[in-house]
Amino acid sequence: MQTSSPPSHPTTLLRAANPRTLLALSAACAYHTLPAAPPPGQLLSSQCFQCHGTNGQPVSGFEGIGGENANEMHKELLEMSLRKPEGIMDLQIRAYTPAQLRLIANYLSTLPKTGETNDD
Amino acid sequence: MNTNRRDFLTLTGLTSLSLALPRSLRANTTPPHVLVIGGGFGGATVAKYLKLWGGNIDVTLIDRDASHYACILSNLVVTGAIPISRIQLGYGNLKTKRGVNIVQGEALSVDPASKEVTVKIGNDFFAYAFDKLVLSPGIDFINPAGNYNSDLTPHAWKAGPQTLLLKNQLAAMAKKQTFVMTIPKSPYRCPPGPYERACSVADYLKRKKSGAKIIVLDANASIQAEPINFGNAFTKTYKDVLTYIPNAAVSEVDSSTKTIVTSQGTFKGAVLNVIPNQRAGQIVANAGLVNDPTGKWALVNPLNYASTLYPDIHILGDSQGTGQPKSGHMANSQAKVCADAIIRGFSGEAPDPSPVTSSACFSPITSKTASWLTASFQYDPVTKAMKRVEPSFAEAPRPTSDGMEQMFHWADNIFADSFS
Ligand SMILES: Cc1cc2nc3c(=O)[nH]c(=O)nc-3n(C[C@H](O)[C@H](O)[C@H](O)COP(=O)(O)OP(=O)(O)OC[C@H]3O[C@@H](n4cnc5c(N)ncnc54)[C@H](O)[C@@H]3O)c2cc1C
Repeated sequence: MQTSSPPSHPTTLLRAANPRTLLALSAACAYHTLPAAPPPGQLLSSQCFQCHGTNGQPVSGFEGIGGENANEMHKELLEMSLRKPEGIMDLQIRAYTPAQLRLIANYLSTLPKTGETNDD
Repeated sequence: MNTNRRDFLTLTGLTSLSLALPRSLRANTTPPHVLVIGGGFGGATVAKYLKLWGGNIDVTLIDRDASHYACILSNLVVTGAIPISRIQLGYGNLKTKRGVNIVQGEALSVDPASKEVTVKIGNDFFAYAFDKLVLSPGIDFINPAGNYNSDLTPHAWKAGPQTLLLKNQLAAMAKKQTFVMTIPKSPYRCPPGPYERACSVADYLKRKKSGAKIIVLDANASIQAEPINFGNAFTKTYKDVLTYIPNAAVSEVDSSTKTIVTSQGTFKGAVLNVIPNQRAGQIVANAGLVNDPTGKWALVNPLNYASTLYPDIHILGDSQGTGQPKSGHMANSQAKVCADAIIRGFSGEAPDPSPVTSSACFSPITSKTASWLTASFQYDPVTKAMKRVEPSFAEAPRPTSDGMEQMFHWADNIFADSFS
């Protein structure tokens, strides 16, 4: 490894290296809440997003899966898990338990429909 | 180095001190800070999802390069089917759309006790403090013995300049010349990848360099992924141009003469594409986190990808040693499990007890067709490991043009899901 002298001004170093420390020093009285616990089904559903896009909003090709009726989605997922596999979808869906498929269908139904809003 | 490091730590003493306060005393003043090293498929995804799901979390993503070149689709860059710009993924969206702090620098070492990472930026060294650290540096190589130099005999197993080097060497081949490539010992990055490369190159030689041949030297006893599709390709589609030699362990490489010595004989090619054996990214070793029985990968808890040695350091993607396939799809999948668990941890909750992860790889077999491979994993509470769900595991029935079309849509979506 190439040797090099450390930065000569620790303050600069801190500013560049760790904005958080400066925050801690300057805003010692600020209040803020910790992140909230994630809703059920969110993590499982995110495993659909590699193909179907973040929050079920694809940028190309595959179907949008946000904002569909939960019961219909659940029925469709169950069907795909039982029919003779036609492609990657039918195979990946076989990894989930019926209870997990229910959680996924419920969570996806709470997301905006494709094209309605973005994922921000 | 030692002296520098000591002086340097003194300089940053203030940083260490303020972070030495227990979280409970700091929690109401500043958001927790997650530091991510490596902006590839695992690192970019975990940074994005921490911001998307986590609300008030400070996330800093450090990569040595200004943008990431995806290995996904990179064999098509080698054959000139797509330009390299198609696989160049920038960090602009993570920064502006997601609010991730983006830093270009090389992470050199990790101090688990003071919870700091030493990062070289230009010629300067900086200490980055963290509450949680995520390492997703991909792979590094175990270089073969001999006069080996990847600038002469490219691996093209990390995309970017290496991909272009191999592309140019392939394009410069004369008719009737030989392309020699090696397949590393498992486990390595992207199980079908080397066989896919063999097919892409064979197809190119057939179309553009009449009489040219490819020799595939596999360190393994047999084809490691999609045995049916690659087996058919090797014995039927490319039988006139491709020779597949299993059990070919590499003993020596001379990059200047493009000669390779293996347990199956000595070979010489106009192009020699050595893909060396692989291990966790160097920073994982520097951090002292390589602890699997083979001495190459980092053991983690698959419920949150925390190192089995340090609960606040997580390892994702190719570097971790859960035995799940080393793929970009899988790194993205693990990153979501990790992000979710870190967020739960910050609010005092245990990780989700039953995560599912998936892998998918698309492989061009000819210039017009592609096959695929997929597998999914469930957490097994008895073995405390991710277990492949057998009914989810299969290769495509055959390569098709539909498969090729799906491959590009999938790439668009996984690129966006990870990097924007
Ligand atoms: C030819 C080929 C084809 C492939 N095809 C597929 C496919 O079809 N599907 C699929 O899912 N996968 C595929 N892969 C595999 C996929 O590319 C990898 O598994 C995936 O990139 C792993 O993600 P990662 O986050 O572990 O590492 P990477 O994506 O490699 O990211 C690592 C990042 O860390 C940075 N880094 C490393 N060390 C440091 C450091 N010390 N400091 C700062 N930055 C650092 C690197 O610059 C890099 O940007 C393919 C691979 C190859 C080679």
